Amino acid sequence: MLKRLLGIGVFALAAAAWVQAPAAAQTLDKIKQRGVIVVGTKADYKPFGFRDPSGKIVGFEPDMAEDVAKKLGVKLEIEPVVSSNRMQFLQQGKIDLMIATMNDKPDRRTVVGIIEPLYYASGVNVLAAKKAGLKTWEQLKGKKVCGIQGAWYNKPVAEKYGAEFLNFVGQAETETALLQGNCVGWVYDDTAFAERLADAKWKDFEMKLPTIMEEPWGLAVKLEEREGPWGKFMTQLSQEWHKTGRLIELEKKWKIPASAFLKKMNEEAKKAKS
Amino acid sequence: MLLPFRLARPAEPVFSPTARWGLMLIVLFALSVGAAEAQTSAGQPGILATIWKWTPLLAQGFALNIAISFLAMAIGTAAGVPLGICQISLLPPLRGGSWFVTQFFRNSPWLVLLFYCMLLLPFEVNIAGHIVPIPGWIKSTVGLSLPVMANMSELVRGAIRSIPAGQWEAADALAFSRRQILWMIILPQCVKRMTPPWMNLYAILTVATPLCSVVGVSEAMTLTRDALASEARNELLVPMYLYLLAAFFVYCYPIARATQALEKKFAVK
Repeated sequence: MLKRLLGIGVFALAAAAWVQAPAAAQTLDKIKQRGVIVVGTKADYKPFGFRDPSGKIVGFEPDMAEDVAKKLGVKLEIEPVVSSNRMQFLQQGKIDLMIATMNDKPDRRTVVGIIEPLYYASGVNVLAAKKAGLKTWEQLKGKKVCGIQGAWYNKPVAEKYGAEFLNFVGQAETETALLQGNCVGWVYDDTAFAERLADAKWKDFEMKLPTIMEEPWGLAVKLEEREGPWGKFMTQLSQEWHKTGRLIELEKKWKIPASAFLKKMNEEAKKAKS
Repeated sequence: MLLPFRLARPAEPVFSPTARWGLMLIVLFALSVGAAEAQTSAGQPGILATIWKWTPLLAQGFALNIAISFLAMAIGTAAGVPLGICQISLLPPLRGGSWFVTQFFRNSPWLVLLFYCMLLLPFEVNIAGHIVPIPGWIKSTVGLSLPVMANMSELVRGAIRSIPAGQWEAADALAFSRRQILWMIILPQCVKRMTPPWMNLYAILTVATPLCSVVGVSEAMTLTRDALASEARNELLVPMYLYLLAAFFVYCYPIARATQALEKKFAVK
């Protein structure tokens, strides 16, 4: 019996040695070899990345991913990611490229290779009930506000302004909590609110505070490939996106309110050319 | 003749408790749709129409839940039965080892095991030069099969224990070897005893599959959330989640009924 067990153990070890994780290869070579690029985008962040009823992930960021695939001449595969797993997926190599509404933060730059120029920018604001009468951020002190789990600014807003956070997983859950009056306001990306305020359902709400902590969004490759061929390829494509106004075009296509950031980047890129 | 004493059977309620829950679920769903319909702004499609629009996608996700539950149950059973038999082994290291493995996985939170499998298993493996991708749902299936294995192991051990010791002794007296006793006399009787709790375990596993949404698998729960995000209508929240709940109920309820029927059939009269 013991001998047999030992045999099984040896076999298992041999199998483990035979079946091992592939050695790290250059992503660009890997994509070309496979003929498929895997891009991680959000699937729950309208209009940047969301599902249509057929299950396809569409939006601003999937369109960018499509551009990348077209330029490489490979097929595109979109992998839905969330804020808590997007960086791990990239590190593991599960995705080749991440375009997932990620703010460019110094600590994130030590984990993933954020490509410059950055492709979008958003700030933090509060969608609050009109009757709350919020005029300044300081008024949030001791008040309950709703937030989304994993957003980087929850902590600074809580510490700086003394707001108490009730955090939820998705936007729909947070909306419900806000409409039911569980919190005075919702602290989130201003880009997410602009679309809502146009809807009659939100007529009792406003976004009156000045936008703070404006942060650009970065797409990312593996950290060690930022300066490699794959990183360079994406840098070049990002410059092209700004120069040709492609991102502004996408912004219009997905009915996102025009952002000052994209306009500025477009003008600067054009100037650099001439 | 003196007939054996029988207890009068209590009258069966019109609806079994579970069926009552089911009815309540339907009523709740109808109420939530009604309430949500009232909040719908003019010009927007109705709640039922919206849910119907997303149904094919949600059904796809639900099919993945079922596939995960089938596969995890198969792996868990295949690994749990030998593990359970090892628990009654006469070899102390084997007995101790299998006891430890069983207790470890039986008392670990399922979600923690899922996270471990998600992070520790590679996303692709190189089998003799071929790169084979391991999708997230396979990894989470492995993660879910670990607690199933441990529970199965305990079921097997308990079932073997529940066979009266007299059977071992009688078989021993008839010169059967230990292996023969186990395979030909004890285990066949255990199968019958283990079936109802095994089905129970399956139902528990099935309702636990939405846990996979936490680790990013596109199953029914994830897709429901994505659909909600895409609609950006908060009044859909309650009906959509109830819809998902109802799907699981409709799937698991017959299993619960079948388990009850089997239990009744196998009960010692």
